[in-house]
Amino acid sequence: MSITSSPSVMERDLRIDFFRGLALFCIFIDHLPNNFVADFTLQSVMFSDAAEVFILISGLTAGMVYGRAMERQGFVIAGVRVYHRVWQLYVAHVFLFMMFIAMVATTVGALNSSLYAEEFGAANFLDEPGVAVAKALTLQFQPAFMHILPLYIVLLAVLPFVMAGFRSWPRVILFASFVLWLAVQLDKRIALSVYPGPDGVWPFNPFAWQALFFLGVWLGWRGTRGEVSWLRRRWLFCVAAVLALAGFVIRFNWTLHDFYDPIPVLVSGRPLWLFLSKTDLGLLRFANVLAVALLVARLIHPQAPFLASRVARPFVICGRNSLHIFCLGILLSVLGHLVLNEFFGGIPMQFAVSAAGVAIMISVAALMEWFAAAQGTPRGGALGAPTAGRGARG
Amino acid sequence: MTPNFPHHAIVLISAVIIGLLSAPVKTFGEERECPVPERFYEFEPPLTKTAKALAAGREVVIAALGGASTVGLAAGGPNLGWPARMSSVLAGKFPSARIKVVNLAVARQTAKAAVERFSRDVFPLKPTLVIWETGTMEAVRGTDVDEFRETVQAGLNELHTAKTEVVLMNMQFSRETDAMIQFGPYLIAMRELADANDVPLFRRHGIMRYWAENDFLDLRTREAEKRRQLATKLYDCIGHAMADFVARGVTAAKAATSPGSDR
Repeated sequence: MSITSSPSVMERDLRIDFFRGLALFCIFIDHLPNNFVADFTLQSVMFSDAAEVFILISGLTAGMVYGRAMERQGFVIAGVRVYHRVWQLYVAHVFLFMMFIAMVATTVGALNSSLYAEEFGAANFLDEPGVAVAKALTLQFQPAFMHILPLYIVLLAVLPFVMAGFRSWPRVILFASFVLWLAVQLDKRIALSVYPGPDGVWPFNPFAWQALFFLGVWLGWRGTRGEVSWLRRRWLFCVAAVLALAGFVIRFNWTLHDFYDPIPVLVSGRPLWLFLSKTDLGLLRFANVLAVALLVARLIHPQAPFLASRVARPFVICGRNSLHIFCLGILLSVLGHLVLNEFFGGIPMQFAVSAAGVAIMISVAALMEWFAAAQGTPRGGALGAPTAGRGARG
Repeated sequence: MTPNFPHHAIVLISAVIIGLLSAPVKTFGEERECPVPERFYEFEPPLTKTAKALAAGREVVIAALGGASTVGLAAGGPNLGWPARMSSVLAGKFPSARIKVVNLAVARQTAKAAVERFSRDVFPLKPTLVIWETGTMEAVRGTDVDEFRETVQAGLNELHTAKTEVVLMNMQFSRETDAMIQFGPYLIAMRELADANDVPLFRRHGIMRYWAENDFLDLRTREAEKRRQLATKLYDCIGHAMADFVARGVTAAKAATSPGSDR
């Protein structure tokens, strides 16, 4: 069972599993309403939050898994594997949407008779559920919490073509990807609309977020083989360290200010808003996650003893079963919402709900690990899923 | 995150924070059914211009902008909405002052539509204070948060140019919708806007959540008549709380400008 003892895990990168697990816990906790614990997740110490970590790691993983598949099995097989994964994600999206609709159906009576009927009635989907279902199937309707999967789906759907491009003209493709991101920063009209309109947009603009994902793909495919030597330059490390430290100081100061107003704000947020857009992956969010990723890559060994320790294990196993645990986390945050709004209970209750949710996520991940081991099947292989640093466990 | 950040400092900060948050809450309007904890009013910037206008004995026009909950729809109409309730409470608090409250709210109005009305409907009134309730439509429709923030910022700039004082008011809290409509990002955006512009923020969402949490006001009912009564009570509570909020802003401004104070 112990993954460290297997010789074939030589290439296994535990950092990926660990930090993806961390991101999954943060996504769950951040989604709980008015949650005190959410003030202690990634977003309180850096400009980026768990979404950037999740998308960057997903890109790295996809690059490693499908890059290798493309080299060994060819473009077509690798492409089919990617689309198999897209299908899985799509099914997961539809599954989550069913849960959402079920929740709406049970609360819609209360809603229509509530004090807020006039204002919340403006959410057209209550009037025309049929349209809402159709729009959800086309990814145009993204209710609360259902934003990351549609982004991931469209990014993966274009991945085979981008990878084919990487094979021939890596610089051109990377440059084009960056230019597209830059174009979004300069012109906010480059966006996809969502239902119900008229002025809704995808909460994660794929034209901007693709830059982070495909940079991850390229690094996962080429960077890990030492082909990107400038990544190890000393000056780059220094720049990343300064960026991450500045991000920490400024952002954590805001967190403290939010806690207790008299704590002065060191750097006003207003001039930075332009660069802090989550929808369009603003410059500071983009730079901060890359800086932290570079520091992690340089400072933490892929098989660092801590990552293989018991303390890190809950993170690692959740990160390794990321799609299932991600979906579970979304369901749990919806349930947590209902619990927190029904019973309230202040900070102790927020702690309890956060802890219970994380415990359930870990238990399910442990169960999946146990089941996979009991069956003796290589994890992820059968599903074609990039579950970790490698597509299949040794 | 940084290794040089001493561990005991984190523990200390956390302890202080938890201590602050769990300290017994001093509340405002203790005698009423719907008191508001001190933490919702503390640290809000003073209402300097309104205080000056009151001190000078000028007529003070307060314009309320917003959606259905400011119109007072669920209670039956504007005479039962919170602006009207606030008006009568303020008249009691400042008996010698001439305060006129104008309700300009329109149901389902977006922030953008509200800003577009400024020059036509708001500025001709020459208001001393504009109370701007916003954010609900944007959260319901999933408008881009950045766009919402830009819109409100543009509105605040216009009001600032017109030398009008502003109080922002955020969304309502409701148990039914909180899991379906994500208010979080819009609430954060409004807090950032208030902070960056040094404008007071009336945190209606937090206050209503506090009332629900402590059983002062449970707004769940399916009977139409009961619902109307509850809405009336809710708007009365909000009106009282807002009057307290404004009065405090005025008092704070007086304290800041009075001789002997160097603030």
